[in-house]
Amino acid sequence: MNNNALWIILQRLRTPLLVIIITYSIAILGMVLIPGLDDKGEIYHLSFFDAFYFISYTASTIGFGETPYEFTYDQRMWVLICIYLTVIGWFYAIGTLVSVLSDKMLRFEIMKGRFRKRVKALDTNFIIILGYNHINSQVIPKLLNYGLEVVLVDISEDKINGFLLEDISHSIPVMVADAMLTETLQDAGIHHKKCIAVVSHFYKEDKNLRITILTKFLNPNIKVITKATKRDTITSLLDTDIAKVENPFEIFAKRLDIALTAPHIMILENWIYKNYDLTHEATFLPQGKYIICGYGRLGRAIKEKLDFHDIPYVIIDESVMPTKKMIEHELFISANADDKEVLLEAGIEEASVLIAGTQNDIDNISIILTAKKLNPKLYFIARENTMKEVSIFEAANIDWLFMIERILINKTSLQLANPLKHTFLQKIIYKDEMWGNALVNLLKSQLGNNPKLMNLTITRQRAYALYNKIEAGERIHLDILLKSLSDWTKYHKAIPLLLKRGKNEILLPRDEILKLGDQLLFACDEESKEEIEYIASNMYDLHYICTGEEKKNWALNKFMNAFK
Amino acid sequence: MNLQKVISGFFFILAMTLNFGFFYGDTEDLLMHTNYELYAALVVSLIATVLKIGDKTQIGSVLLASSLVADMQLITATIVWTLTESMTVATMAMIVSLSGGALMANITSVILYIGETLKSKR
Repeated sequence: MNNNALWIILQRLRTPLLVIIITYSIAILGMVLIPGLDDKGEIYHLSFFDAFYFISYTASTIGFGETPYEFTYDQRMWVLICIYLTVIGWFYAIGTLVSVLSDKMLRFEIMKGRFRKRVKALDTNFIIILGYNHINSQVIPKLLNYGLEVVLVDISEDKINGFLLEDISHSIPVMVADAMLTETLQDAGIHHKKCIAVVSHFYKEDKNLRITILTKFLNPNIKVITKATKRDTITSLLDTDIAKVENPFEIFAKRLDIALTAPHIMILENWIYKNYDLTHEATFLPQGKYIICGYGRLGRAIKEKLDFHDIPYVIIDESVMPTKKMIEHELFISANADDKEVLLEAGIEEASVLIAGTQNDIDNISIILTAKKLNPKLYFIARENTMKEVSIFEAANIDWLFMIERILINKTSLQLANPLKHTFLQKIIYKDEMWGNALVNLLKSQLGNNPKLMNLTITRQRAYALYNKIEAGERIHLDILLKSLSDWTKYHKAIPLLLKRGKNEILLPRDEILKLGDQLLFACDEESKEEIEYIASNMYDLHYICTGEEKKNWALNKFMNAFK
Repeated sequence: MNLQKVISGFFFILAMTLNFGFFYGDTEDLLMHTNYELYAALVVSLIATVLKIGDKTQIGSVLLASSLVADMQLITATIVWTLTESMTVATMAMIVSLSGGALMANITSVILYIGETLKSKR
């Protein structure tokens, strides 16, 4: 008995139904018992069917008239009673039915039933998105573009309605429900075998933790993509083993680190995120003095990196108490950063970088504007917390804008839609500048300024020919995939970036022997992409590449031999 | 004593007894089966059905199902009665046997009801 909606209707309609049955039965019985006169003036009794027919159209106020013969006064007296009895009963029932149908709880149950059905029917990989906020609103279309399905849950009906008004060509299952409840997660399909991940980007981090723990117990095979910035929350999240934690401050600090030491890695990263192409200038951060406004989670993360690289800095914050050590080294000014005097005291005239990293977007803009007047040559970095004021920040001409939401959007969608690219990114951020520079130059010289990326997984569907050959026990080197179909002694332009085999990842593979289930990431252009696909899936092309000879058609061969 | 139990028990048993009253008698004897009794059996059976709605327990479901079976049989019987132009022995036999089926369903339902009452500790 899962159909709650039907039960609610039936239960509420019990009394009206009883009223209708009883009034009808009394009225019908009366009509049958009271004698009438037919056209010949003889006494007759209405049959039960006639009486039922008459009462039915009388009670519903349709009123076809007196059938089969005109009624006597005795009958009319009874009909009068019947009218008041049954019409009231009928209206009572209709009124109750209407009120039940417009009942919020019933509508909710109907919506839930429909949602469950739609989730159950999903047959492609899908992702459960909890909460419709700005980040998730940007992530959803990206995931849909990649051919993934999305299930959306939010506690607020207004937000769900807002989502339904959005211009998304694809209709996805949505439900108004509290994501903190096990039942909601179950309805959203957490046990479904096609469910691959849960995205939980709540502002309150304990909510994210709670969802991760619920998911862990409901279905430990599912990833949870979540955000956390507080250290203890992060460790608890990581302890569940299923969470992929995104800490935007840590990510930004890492980027700062890269920009200080290996800017070419940053170019690669921007290229993979499709922010810029490879010609985008490498951001070399000046090595001079840094002024950090705001000493919260971001300030702390940046301070760690600057300490590591031995770069001088001054922190300005009015609400945080500095440590003794910081005061002794004159690293901390306890004041509002949005003040000329304070900025001058911090040494803005000889500084080289200013980071406006407070929690308040307007404060950050204001600090940048003040600082620009004092020292326009500074390199400006600003933190933007919500994407509502993008245009103001863009107008302020800031060198490096750090958008928390943008980072989360990019990271989440890449991680879900293209995990291989994400793995590649995670690998390269630990490489040095020389490595990055070499790779950027190699890509640029072989494939131009904006090479494409392609994935290839060695499965029967994606790489039929390769799969069969490897399964038959042949040793096939990765090299094979790179040879040109027009001349097997030459290579086409594609560059393999990553080979993923189970938990092992090999950066820039070249001669590895391929195995079943290997995942490959190539940088390529349109032409070389096609060549790789042909070699992987076409037996004849693969044969040619391996041996330099055209593979002969077996049947045709027999046929030809027979004539020799 | 629970008034609700008295009312529902009354209708469940009345549905069965009226049904039996109509069914009892020689199948071929037209005078032994009056349409008034069939009508009463149908109305009471419908009331009993509505009273059974809303109990989501296992036994409640079976009770409702048996009641629905009885309704269906009785409604079919009345439709047959309405549609015959002149009552023959064959038609009456059909109507009575349909009500006999309804009687079985009603008996099942009453047995279940009694069983549930006996099981209850209160």
